Amino acid sequence: MTKNNNNKLKIGIYELTGCAGDALLILDCEKELVDIFQAADIQSFLMAKSDNIDGELDIALVEGSVSTEKEKKEILDIRKRAKTVVAIGICACFGGIQAAFLDEKEWEANFKEVYGNIKMKHTKPVQSKPIDEYIKVDYYLPGCPIDKEQFLSTLNRILRGNPPELYRFSVCVECKWNENDCLLNKDIPCLGPITRAGCGSICINHNLPCVGCWGPVEEANIASEFQLLREKGFDHDFIKKKMANFSGTGMADFFGKLKGEKG
Amino acid sequence: MRIIKLKKDNLFPFLEIISEEADLWAPVKKGDKHAFTIIDDLSKIELETTRTIIPPKKIFTPPTFSMFSISDKGYKEDFSHITKKILFGIHPCDIHGLLTLDSFFKQAYLDPYYLEARKNTLILGLSCWPDEYCFAKSTHTHVIEEGFDLFFTDLKDFFLVWIGSSQGDDLIRLKPELFDEGLKDQDIQTYINWQAERDNAYKWNIKFIALPDLMELKYRDPLWEKLGDACLACGSCSNVCPTCNCYNIMDKQFLGGKDGKIIRHWDACTLEEYSEVAGGENFRKKRSDRLKLWYTHKLQAYISKYGKPSCVGCGRCIATCPVDINVRTVGQALLGEKPDAFWARFNKEVTK
Repeated sequence: MTKNNNNKLKIGIYELTGCAGDALLILDCEKELVDIFQAADIQSFLMAKSDNIDGELDIALVEGSVSTEKEKKEILDIRKRAKTVVAIGICACFGGIQAAFLDEKEWEANFKEVYGNIKMKHTKPVQSKPIDEYIKVDYYLPGCPIDKEQFLSTLNRILRGNPPELYRFSVCVECKWNENDCLLNKDIPCLGPITRAGCGSICINHNLPCVGCWGPVEEANIASEFQLLREKGFDHDFIKKKMANFSGTGMADFFGKLKGEKG
Repeated sequence: MRIIKLKKDNLFPFLEIISEEADLWAPVKKGDKHAFTIIDDLSKIELETTRTIIPPKKIFTPPTFSMFSISDKGYKEDFSHITKKILFGIHPCDIHGLLTLDSFFKQAYLDPYYLEARKNTLILGLSCWPDEYCFAKSTHTHVIEEGFDLFFTDLKDFFLVWIGSSQGDDLIRLKPELFDEGLKDQDIQTYINWQAERDNAYKWNIKFIALPDLMELKYRDPLWEKLGDACLACGSCSNVCPTCNCYNIMDKQFLGGKDGKIIRHWDACTLEEYSEVAGGENFRKKRSDRLKLWYTHKLQAYISKYGKPSCVGCGRCIATCPVDINVRTVGQALLGEKPDAFWARFNKEVTK
């Protein structure tokens, strides 16, 4: 990787469609903020500063999904300028809540119901999709929002030219480490087995079922989880909606309705 | 081994005294289950428990802990999680679990973290009563002859206390007047009756003696594919197993060239990443292959090496696996029975 005058890698932090929670989390690393700005040359970070430069980058951290034509152009431009693109947060990685649909038709019908026949002057809205629907993504850092410790260690590893080292198993593993009693065994619809770990099983620690906000784990056994919930008395649509809530596009891959491969 | 008597009312005064010597850990309520926890209030200790959600292995190798702290000057071993502990209320099956872990961690490469924690922890066992998941009688781990410093058998009105080590004896000597040396014939008869009743309370039995051969004979049985199709690969069977001991190591380096840590966390051969090697190749990509490995280890390989299964009959896998893949159902299936299990009903087309 090339280095700038200060011998620091150039970083841009971008927000597409989302709640800006991941950018906010980065700003919220109060104790480590000085370290971040010392370790890297932050060229663009709209939430944190006004003198942003949109030039060549070593690393682009992108939050949010692509939901307008304008954002489509923006993400293609970011890819062109950045050597490494990291999707941060559930929206960039899997589509987020705004992608909680499983096929194109459903989205168009919903759009009409909410906005009617209104003409959008600013930009044309499109179905919300994770950024890898449009560009090659080098690394994924899921979360809703991302976890502070994981973010710092991932950033650190990428700055040193190493790939991130994230948990690749499901929430259940961390959940057992925290010695929680399995909610599925109490007939509560928990998505722990199909959801990526990294959150520290925070919901289940508070006796709430996992809602899948970190997106599907690589080896998610959707069919088995599906049948398990069916046997517990939940109906087909309820389960599908629940699974698609945070990562409709990501889940659609599993359901075989949309094409696209996940890293 | 010396056996003495302790009045029920004297247990907590005794625990109070010994808790001044080291951190006292015992089972307390967690939801409607139990968990070993450091005790700051004796009244929270639960005496009549079955299994804790995860076994006491967590006290010797916590789910995650720092092995080394690193800096530009080198690295330093980190034993900060190891403190002097007294573990009270551990059942015979879990003591057997620790003895099995000893055999793993004392092989060619001694594990300093486990062994140091072992050395610093006194084991105060407690008798228990089986529930519908326990099958420790099948693995002959419902009785215990070694591996404890003191063992308390609860006979309703009093405890019989086995003194298993000189360190256990030292604890008794802190307040010997709480104990009664003279056992009456009646006390012994009470124990004999209790033992017979307890042995009869096991609701089911599994023929472990047949399983090593059956693992071999049924190694290519379609059963394994069925299990693999239904398995959620959540790793819970390994995490709750008292004898599973695999771990992974991760670097945690802080930003700006500052210090870091080497973190060790529980891992499981039932997880996909476990058998992945450099270049992304994976020797056991299929869940069925991973389950086969897990059960080979529990029901066959350990038996050939040590003459007993590395299953201690605690029933945690039965209580935990949401899709009924556990030693009972897999054992039954290997023995040619048709267990009423989720995986036997599972249909891959369910999402359509």
